[in-house]
Amino acid sequence: MMLARVADSLYWIGRYVERAEHLSRLSDVMLNATLDQTDAAAQAAYIALSAVGDRDQARAAKPYEAALALVMDRKDPNSVLMSLALARENARQVRDQITTETWERLNLLFLKVTADDAPQEFERQSSAFLHDIIADLHLFKGAADATMSHGEGWRFLLLGVHIERAQLIARLLEVCFGDTRGRRVTDRLALMSLLRMACALEPYLRQYTAEIEPRYILDFLLFDEDFPRSIRFATARIEEDLTSLARRMDSHGRAGPERLAGRLKARLQFADVEELEATGASGLLATVTTECARIHEAIYETFVAYPLELRLPA
Amino acid sequence: MAKARVTGTAPAPAPTEAAYLPGVAFDEMYAEGGMVREHYNPIHARLATLSPEALAERQKTLERSFLLQGITFTVYGAEATTERIIPTDLIPRIIPGAEWNRIEKGLIQRLKALNMFLADIYGEQQILMDGVVPRDLVLGAASYRREMQHVFVPHKAYANVCGSDLIRGQDGEFAVLEDNLRVPSGVSYMLANRDAAKRTFPGTFRIANVRPVERYPDLLLATLKSMAAEWRPNPQVAVLTPGVYNSAYYEHAYLARLMGVPLVEGRDLVVHENQVYMRTTTGLRRIDVIYRRVDDDFIDPLTFRRDSGLGVAGLFNAYRAGNVVICNAPGTGVADDKAVYAYVPDIIRYYLDEDAILPNIETFLCREPAQLSHVLANLDKLVVKAVGASGGYGMLVGPHASQKERDEFATVLRADPGNYIAQPTIQLSTAPCLIDGANIEPRHVDLRPFILSGEKTVVTPGALTRVALRRGSLVVNSSQGGGSKDTWVLSEPRSAKS
Repeated sequence: MMLARVADSLYWIGRYVERAEHLSRLSDVMLNATLDQTDAAAQAAYIALSAVGDRDQARAAKPYEAALALVMDRKDPNSVLMSLALARENARQVRDQITTETWERLNLLFLKVTADDAPQEFERQSSAFLHDIIADLHLFKGAADATMSHGEGWRFLLLGVHIERAQLIARLLEVCFGDTRGRRVTDRLALMSLLRMACALEPYLRQYTAEIEPRYILDFLLFDEDFPRSIRFATARIEEDLTSLARRMDSHGRAGPERLAGRLKARLQFADVEELEATGASGLLATVTTECARIHEAIYETFVAYPLELRLPA
Repeated sequence: MAKARVTGTAPAPAPTEAAYLPGVAFDEMYAEGGMVREHYNPIHARLATLSPEALAERQKTLERSFLLQGITFTVYGAEATTERIIPTDLIPRIIPGAEWNRIEKGLIQRLKALNMFLADIYGEQQILMDGVVPRDLVLGAASYRREMQHVFVPHKAYANVCGSDLIRGQDGEFAVLEDNLRVPSGVSYMLANRDAAKRTFPGTFRIANVRPVERYPDLLLATLKSMAAEWRPNPQVAVLTPGVYNSAYYEHAYLARLMGVPLVEGRDLVVHENQVYMRTTTGLRRIDVIYRRVDDDFIDPLTFRRDSGLGVAGLFNAYRAGNVVICNAPGTGVADDKAVYAYVPDIIRYYLDEDAILPNIETFLCREPAQLSHVLANLDKLVVKAVGASGGYGMLVGPHASQKERDEFATVLRADPGNYIAQPTIQLSTAPCLIDGANIEPRHVDLRPFILSGEKTVVTPGALTRVALRRGSLVVNSSQGGGSKDTWVLSEPRSAKS
């Protein structure tokens, strides 16, 4: 049993921390790649900025300024800083529901990125600054895993993480391998940057060795069973989290979000990379994005913003 | 003036003597003649071994730990919002066991009488009939709630959580300055300060034989559960908060977390057929007891202020119907009204036939013409307070005000004398504090112990000691630049018990 508002906040903490981590990684990889004045560098900047929906490609010419805005912009609700501020604000609203260890990790990180000297710190050592944010977010997730009860609240937190992750990775793949784009990424170094943006380079190398092929990358990031940032992995977790949550409900026979999640999981389970080569990846990636959005709505209808008259005591 | 410290590893010199003005105020650590009071010996000895750097270091660690835990309030600025911690002093204030026993008895007696008073004025009003307290003073008070007339309150415990403000005057005796029976706050600081003090002075803490305060959350939960209807065997308790923007939000979340009960906001609650429910992920769940940290005015827009978005429509009717218990009961504010305060010794005598163990501060009611003229003639010696206000607002500290301020206040006072009371300026006792991370200087303090009252009445052996951090200031409210420190209540020595 948990307050609907609390479930809502925990879910959003999950989404915001995942978003902050992903954006930090994109920025870090972009800054690193663009140290070289090559075509691969330009492609990496293009991938990163397109994946965050920045249509203004002129900014790719100024990667440092673009990264600074992605990370530190207080006016952009999607920046790393604002994502962390919102995650922490949500955590503050459910302070009684998360463990002190979990709270302290997030609060510490928030205080660090909002400190008066944070912009100077970013300027001085951008890479170390971003690296620390990502490491601190791993600590946060680790603290949540190690200290929170793996019950309802924790499930809502993970649900947010996995839905956000599936959507972010789908977006990243769409930028590189979608059919509608004019520009397909083929450069080897750019593809390695892509793998880094998905935090996938090392696991990929162990699977496929140093053969960097678009086909393999697509296969790995979409269909790998075990890699935590593959879409198949994320959708399987979404389904698992929702099934666990649905068990606690007396569902009145209504189709809940767990049914949508099961369908999406099955779709990923039974697709493979040969099929995509024939039809293009865009269809499947679009399905992931829209289905995640529908699951999000169904979670609200079922757990958070349900109509009261359906739930009044008899 | 305090002298600058010599740097180095030399032990800290004794607290700067010059900073103490002997005879002005009672000091908690030094007796007259500069002797250290016996119960302060361990901490005094420890302080003498710590260099100023070591003290400053500990103070920094303490502040960092408060920031990390989120024991903060938010300052909203134009550019960015920042978080500040409540100033906290690391040197504990110490109260000997025997002295505490008297305080405890006095607090229990006082709260018992005040709860009987509330039950009476919201019932038969015998005390008004007998003319012990003027009728218009009670029924005319802004905090009197007509809606509470003849509402059943379990155990007649109207004020379940009470935080009284005690002060120690020049004579060294504790007296009650104010009773807080509405939604007193500060208990989380008592607990957080204790946690910090244990880490700052572990060795001293161990030998000092300090009584624990850590049971407060479970005593509070037991008190709240004792208020539930007896046919509800496992009552659901919840803490009602105005939300995350309230300055005491940290405390609300803290208490809910330590009691293991949900922290709810008005928007989480629904009233249906006079039952109160909270919206959970699995549907509506009934609530039996609400520990509300929302003022009377805002708990139910149907009964009280219509523009309130913090409460729940229909809550008060559910309460009248006996389906939910609101703690503290609405309307308790009438018993901590600053004018009613003057009558508390009479109230204790009336209901309990006892003399008050803890005395009141001498109080002049400006509604009485004779007392008003005395107040006007002595404005430079008195503290004048508005009856309805709290938090250090709307008051005049005569000796610290300019002639112009006093003249202006006199005009206000003449226009609405019923709204004011006056008290002599009390030199609150002083306790040693670490100032600017370097010097140990005396600062004025008060004492806020917390009393719980449900089926039983209990006092937690500890308190929030509030500190006026500005030199010479007598105002300890956190809204006026006050801070706080831990309060050690010592166990009585074994020999005294046997």
